[in-house]
Amino acid sequence: MAASALASAETGNPGAGDFGHALAQRERRFAAALLAPAFLALLATTTFPLIFLVWTSTYRMNLAMPFMNGFVGFENYRMLLIDERFWSSLLISLVYTGTTVALQVAIGLALALLVMDMKRGQGWFRLIAILPVVLSPAVVGMIWRTFMLAPDFGIVDFLAINAGLGSQNWLGDPTLAMVSVIAIHTWQWTPFAFMVLLASLASLPEDIYEAARLDRATAWQRFRRITLPLLRPAIVMVVIMRTMVALTAFAAIFTVTGGGPGTATEILNLYAYRKSFIELSIGYGAALAVALLIVTIVISGVLFALRRAK
Amino acid sequence: MTSFTPTRRTLLKTGTAAAALATFAPAVLRQAVAQGADLAPYKSAKIDWQQTKGETITVAVIPASYFENLIALAPQFTELTGIDVRFEKIPPAQIRQKSVIDLTSKTGTYATHAADPMYYALYAANKWVEPLDTYLNDKSLTDTAWFNFDDIIPAWRSANGINGKLYGMPYDGEVTIQVYRKDLYDAKGLKAADTLETYVSNAAALNAPNDRVWGAALRGLAGAGQNMYIYPSIFRQFGGDWMKGGKLTVNGPEAEAALAWYVDLMRKYAPTAAANWNWPDIADAFSQGTIASYIDAHSSASVINNPQKSKIIGKVAYARWPKGPSGRRTTSIWNWGFPINAALSEKKKKATWLFIQWAASAETQARTAHRFAGPTKRSGVNRTSIWKDPDYIKLMNGFGPNFVEATMDALQHDTDVDWRPRVPQWPAIGDTMATAIQSALSGQATVKAALDDAQRRIEPMMRG
Repeated sequence: MAASALASAETGNPGAGDFGHALAQRERRFAAALLAPAFLALLATTTFPLIFLVWTSTYRMNLAMPFMNGFVGFENYRMLLIDERFWSSLLISLVYTGTTVALQVAIGLALALLVMDMKRGQGWFRLIAILPVVLSPAVVGMIWRTFMLAPDFGIVDFLAINAGLGSQNWLGDPTLAMVSVIAIHTWQWTPFAFMVLLASLASLPEDIYEAARLDRATAWQRFRRITLPLLRPAIVMVVIMRTMVALTAFAAIFTVTGGGPGTATEILNLYAYRKSFIELSIGYGAALAVALLIVTIVISGVLFALRRAK
Repeated sequence: MTSFTPTRRTLLKTGTAAAALATFAPAVLRQAVAQGADLAPYKSAKIDWQQTKGETITVAVIPASYFENLIALAPQFTELTGIDVRFEKIPPAQIRQKSVIDLTSKTGTYATHAADPMYYALYAANKWVEPLDTYLNDKSLTDTAWFNFDDIIPAWRSANGINGKLYGMPYDGEVTIQVYRKDLYDAKGLKAADTLETYVSNAAALNAPNDRVWGAALRGLAGAGQNMYIYPSIFRQFGGDWMKGGKLTVNGPEAEAALAWYVDLMRKYAPTAAANWNWPDIADAFSQGTIASYIDAHSSASVINNPQKSKIIGKVAYARWPKGPSGRRTTSIWNWGFPINAALSEKKKKATWLFIQWAASAETQARTAHRFAGPTKRSGVNRTSIWKDPDYIKLMNGFGPNFVEATMDALQHDTDVDWRPRVPQWPAIGDTMATAIQSALSGQATVKAALDDAQRRIEPMMRG
C-alpha cells in the first residue's frame, strides 16, 4: 500500500500543493494499513458473529429434528411473543437489573460518603473493598452456593439461625433464591460503584461546601442540594455501565441456581442459553439472544438520553 | 455415573483425585502394566489387531475412576494394536455439549466419547454416529466368539440401540437400588421397603431432624441427569407410560401421583438442602450418618464405603427398588457407552472400533475391575459373566449385605428400555421435565400445574 502511494506521488506533478496532498493521502493510507488488522479482527470476532446470530434467528435450526430445518423468516419471533417463559424471564431480568443497580448505587454512595470522612486507613479500606470485583463471577457463585447459602451448613444460614430466623432454604425457595442472587450480584459489584463515586466525591470543590456552611445549610441540605447534583454525571455513568452488565449477567446465576428452583431465577440470558445449548433449538435460542440485545440497546439508549437531558 | 453439576466440594474431590492420579498413579501403573502386560488373552482373538497400525485416536471420557482404570491400561492397547490413544477428560456436566458440538461441526475431534444412552436417538436422527452392527458382523474386525457380544448386559445393549441397531457399546453402567442403614432399621424392627408406601412409612419412622437424622433422600437437583434420572423410575412404577397412544405424554393421573409421591417424600423426610443435591451430596450426607436411606446408583456404594470419610461402614445394606402401585420395579439403565463418530475416515473408524472392542472385552473389563492393580476397582462392569465371577462377587460383597443380589436382580428383572422417553428431542424434554419437577418440589407450582405446563411446552417440540 505504501509502495502504491509512492508510485502515484511519482507520476503526479511535483508541485508544492500537490506534494502536500499526496503526502496527506499517503499518511491516510498508511494509517489505514496500520488500522486494518485490528479492524478486521474486530469485524471477524464481533460484527460477523452478531450478523450470523441475526441470520440464524430467521432459521429453524433444531438439532433434535434436523429434517425440519430451514428458513422461517420471522416465525421464531412470532413464537417468542407468545412464549410465556420468554416474558417471565424478561421480567426476571428487569427485576434483577433494577434492584441490583439501585442497591449498588445506594450502598456504594453511602459507603463512599462514609469513607470520605475517614481520617486513617482509607487506602486499606479501598483495597479490601475492591477484592470482590476482581473475582470471577463463576467463582463467586460457587463460594456463595456452598460456603454461604447451603442450608444447615452455610455461614449465612448459621447467622440466620443465630438471629432467630431459623434455617432457610436460601436457594430452594423461589422468592429467597431471587433475593439471594440479587444479594450476590450486589455484593460483588457495589465496590465498583463505591470506587467511582468516591473518586468523584474527592474531586468536588470544597469552597461550595464552605459557603453552604456559612449559610447554615444542614448536612441533609448540603447532600441534597450540592453533593447529589454535582455527582449526577458520575451516578448516571455508574447506572449505565452496571445496567448493561446486569442485563447480560450469566455466570453467577448459572453456577448458583442454574435458573432454579424451577424458573424462579431464570433471566433472559439463561433462557437463551438453555434453549440453544441444552435443548439444541439453536434458531429459537438466537431469536431470544437478539431480543435480549434489543432490550439492552433500548434501555441503554434511554439512559444515555437521560444523561444528555438537562 | 450420571452427570452432575459440580459443586465446589465434588470439584475439589474429583480435582484432587484426578491430580493425584495424573501426577503419579498413571506413570507408575503404566510402566508396571505395559512391561508386565500379558497380551495372550487378546491375541487369541482371530483378528489382526495391528491392521490400522500407526493411527492416533482421541477419546473423550469423564474424570471418574472407571475411566481412569481404562486409561491406565491404554499402553497395553497401544502395544497390542499400534494405535495411539489420546484421552481427554471432560467433566460430566460438559461432555454432552462438547460432543454434540464436535458431532455437528463434523470435525471428528473425538473418535469416540463416553456417551449418554439418552442421546443415541439424537445422534442416529442426525447420522452423527455409525451403526455398530456392521463392525460387530465384520469377520476381519471382530472375532464374534472371542468378543461374545451376548455376554454384555442385555438392558444396556438395548438402551444403546435405536430401532434394533446398536449405536454405542456399553462400557460401564449402573442400576438404581435402595441403600439403607441396617442398624437404624433393625433398631426399629423395620425391613427394607418392598413397596413405595412402606418406603415412606420407614422414612417417617426414622425421621428425627433434631438428632440430625433424616428419613430419606432422593436427587433434588434440577437436570436431565439429576432429578429426571430418579423421577422416571417412580413415574413408571406408578404405571406411567411416556408414549401414551403414540404421543409423548408427561402429565395425567399417573404422573401426578408419581410426582406427588416424590415431592411429599422430599418435603417431609429429606433434609431441606436435598432439593439441590445430586448423588455425591446424598452419598456424602449418608456416609456422615445423617440419612437413613436413599435410592440411587449402586455405584455410590464405593463412596459410602470409603474408609477415610465414611462413619457408617458395616452398617449398610441394600435392596431393590420398592414396588410401585402398578406392581412394577423400574431401575435405571444408565451406562456410559462408546459410539463411533461418523465424520472419521474409514481407517480411523476401524481403529476406533478396535479400541471399543478392546475396552468392552471381558478381558479388559476384568483387568479394570477386580484384577486392577490400583486401589479403586470398578463396580459397573458390562459383562454378565463377570458378575458371576467369584472373585468379583467377593470384592462387591465388601460393600455390604445383599449388594450383589440386589444389583443383579435389578439388572435382570427391573430394567425397562422405556424408563425414559427415547426420542431425539430428549435433551429438550429432559430439561423441561427437570424444571417442572423442581418447580413442584420448591412450591413454585402445584404438581398438576407443573406437569401440565411441561406437557404444553413439550408438545410443540415433538410436532416440530
